[in-house]
Amino acid sequence: MYLYINKLTIILLILSFANSVQAHHSFAVEFTAEKTITINGVVTEIWFRNPHVRYYVDIINNKNKIESWDVRTSSPSLLVRKGWTKTTIQVGDTISIIGHPGRDDRKLLSVISIKLPDGSSLGKKYPDSDE
Amino acid sequence: MIQDKKVSKKTDLSISKKFFVRNALILLCLISSPGFAQSSIEGDWMLLLNGKKIQIDNSVVIGAPTDNKAAIIGKLSLKKFNEKWIGHVEGGPVPITINENTIEIIIDSRDLAGFSFNRRLTGSFSDSNMAGTFTIEGATEAPEPGGKWSAKRVIPEKTNLPPEPRDITGIWTPAPGVDFRKYSMDLTDKAQSWHKDYIDHYDQPNVRCVSPGIVAMVAWGAYPVEILESEKRYSFLYEVDSEVRRVFMDNRQPPEYYPTSSMGFSNGKWDGNNLIINTQLLEGNVRDFRGEPISDGAKMHEKYTLSEDGNSLHAVITLIDPENYKEPPIRRRKWVKNPNTVIYPYECDPDSFYRQMHNEDKMDMYFDRSERRQIN
Repeated sequence: MYLYINKLTIILLILSFANSVQAHHSFAVEFTAEKTITINGVVTEIWFRNPHVRYYVDIINNKNKIESWDVRTSSPSLLVRKGWTKTTIQVGDTISIIGHPGRDDRKLLSVISIKLPDGSSLGKKYPDSDE
Repeated sequence: MIQDKKVSKKTDLSISKKFFVRNALILLCLISSPGFAQSSIEGDWMLLLNGKKIQIDNSVVIGAPTDNKAAIIGKLSLKKFNEKWIGHVEGGPVPITINENTIEIIIDSRDLAGFSFNRRLTGSFSDSNMAGTFTIEGATEAPEPGGKWSAKRVIPEKTNLPPEPRDITGIWTPAPGVDFRKYSMDLTDKAQSWHKDYIDHYDQPNVRCVSPGIVAMVAWGAYPVEILESEKRYSFLYEVDSEVRRVFMDNRQPPEYYPTSSMGFSNGKWDGNNLIINTQLLEGNVRDFRGEPISDGAKMHEKYTLSEDGNSLHAVITLIDPENYKEPPIRRRKWVKNPNTVIYPYECDPDSFYRQMHNEDKMDMYFDRSERRQIN
């Protein structure tokens, strides 16, 4: 059921995906701006609330263990204006996410792009999305 | 037609030649001018940066008019003290290097995602003008390529003019650019002492769903505001934190025992066609998203100006708090009228904030540093 984490592909191409996070505080303190990683997993919980919309996503790591990631994006009112609503992603969906990881190996991810089960993308266009 | 083209080409050449000669003469005058004496550039200047259009999340500008003139403006103050140059941009300190007729200014800033970066301005100056180019240093989320800059002397505006009210009602969405988003300010010793242990992702009010207050909100570049007018009052309905602000136009004073708060108490008046808002009774808080303090009893001065076509609203926002700032911090904002949106609900739940600390075993640490969240 769970997809394997995509080797936590660390891409050091800084800023090649311009994000649209509207940080409420200093993003750079919590997240590693210099890195982007990709994770694949299953959505277990959704909080479509301020200060940041977040999705809890279970992945299987390289040691074959389940890890829960706290995946954060922008504020609900900014997302819904683009058509990204609380039902766009559902619990149980398998999604791929590119984002900036938390500092100190914390399991946090600030979203740059999400690939949905139907192949479409949210945020910036996912590199191999079906669009 | 062919003849017309020739004439036109000749005219173009003639104009270019004149343009070249004129610029060469201006340059010569500048270089030979006694005004090149360095001390002559002391005083206040208005900086103008014309870089690439700054991008803003398109979700907030849907339906709003496109703005291709996203210049950044800000006040540059230059003083010479004990043979050393002291520079401030928008109230914050900037390193300045002046040699003969050249100047270099390094201005720290913060992008919408919170990444700090520098703009390095280099150029030349005369008594009344500065100009040059600037580059960006550091990792910004939406990198700017740099561009050209210029500066002119600040000319004091006439004030206390007969009121000429304009219609500022409607929904306004933030427009790109305008604000330098100057990162560091010139803190007093007291403020530095308080600020040095601040950890913004634990101590900022908004991370735990507490409104950051009017000083931070008014300059926030992401959410719209709706302005309503009723008898002798404007009401500002901010989308962020669903805050409401009343601006009294009848010079009324706050009732006795009216408390200080993060929104303060605001009085407004029309000075010519500028709406001036003075806010008092601000409580101890933080100014922006970096945790610099605001003292209990600080004041804020805002000047709102509507564009001639009525489609954009500009504001200059100055915090007056000498207890914490050696120079008053200045922010600027521009909004565009956007009849195609409404104010959306803003609900906040601090679950993620506390859950993360719980998972990382940091709850005790958080409560041990409660004084970081109580400024007097």
